[in-house]
Amino acid sequence: MNCPIKTEENKEWLLDYAAGRLDGERAVAVKRHVEACHECARFVDAQQVVWNALSQWEPQAVSDDFDRRLYRAIEARPVSWVDRVLGPLQPLLRPVVPLAAACLLIVAGVMLHTPQVAVNPGDSQARVEKIEPEQVERTLDDIEMLRELALQPAQEEKASKPL
Amino acid sequence: MALDCDAELMLRVKDGDGASFALLLEKYRASVIHFLYRMVQDQPVSEELAQEVFLRVYRSRETYEPTAKFTTWLFRIATHLALNWLRDGKSERGQERLDETVEDAPSREVADRTPSVEHQMVQQVKLEEVRRAVAALPAKQRAAVLMHKYEEMEYSQIAKVLSCSESAVKSLLFRAYETLRVRLAHMA
Repeated sequence: MNCPIKTEENKEWLLDYAAGRLDGERAVAVKRHVEACHECARFVDAQQVVWNALSQWEPQAVSDDFDRRLYRAIEARPVSWVDRVLGPLQPLLRPVVPLAAACLLIVAGVMLHTPQVAVNPGDSQARVEKIEPEQVERTLDDIEMLRELALQPAQEEKASKPL
Repeated sequence: MALDCDAELMLRVKDGDGASFALLLEKYRASVIHFLYRMVQDQPVSEELAQEVFLRVYRSRETYEPTAKFTTWLFRIATHLALNWLRDGKSERGQERLDETVEDAPSREVADRTPSVEHQMVQQVKLEEVRRAVAALPAKQRAAVLMHKYEEMEYSQIAKVLSCSESAVKSLLFRAYETLRVRLAHMA
């Protein structure tokens, strides 16, 4: 076999060999290579030191009331109605969510880039100041004329009615 | 695809069989807690996170689909929670605990039934060094090493848990073990 360190091929075989997890022909091939290759032998020795050191790390015992606490949590946190309703639909909703997010982004983008009419308080004041008295008079005349036009058909209708 | 027996149990949980959930809990309680403990190096936190893992498993029973091995799914949840916890900086307290003196660390059983005080102290110091070396690894490398060493997972399964390629996992492991070989070389 090619040297795993020199060729960078199947380097994981050395890890597995050092861990004693390599079986069969592969294990025999690696063993034979390691016996002949000083670099790989050094790698395997160093890796075995790490492996043995990690093996010494025993975790602490699990609390006796772990299950009781878990079942209490299961009972205490009932599934919300949203999860209950949307839960079975989740696989269907999953592709919709990014689509909805994309739509929202587009709408937000359009709203941000739409040119808005800036309201300048100074402008409106200026417009009010520019209104001339003649203009007011003309507007009042127009209103009067419209009122007369509105009254005319009603008077004509009244006149045409038979007694 | 042939279902593994855990996936079959989970499908029974999906059908409302509480006993199957209890079986899965019994089978994986210790390994999940131990994995989380080695990730966050804080016993109460590891149990809290493990509670959340099993709670999520139970809550997801109705939407569960056996698309992967049950343990892949289980450890994906556990790893996700641990990485989030570490990312959120909640590990600071844990790091403080690591800085505690060796005498403060909880006593652990050693192979020798009647160990001398000296032997016990040497063991404690070694253990502390191992803990520190693992804690110093980047979180993803740490997760990969723990799954490889203690859960005896295949590279392909670790890749699925970490949502990356098999070659990325091998690369993670090589870098992690390289760091550990340097840090723990004196333990030969």
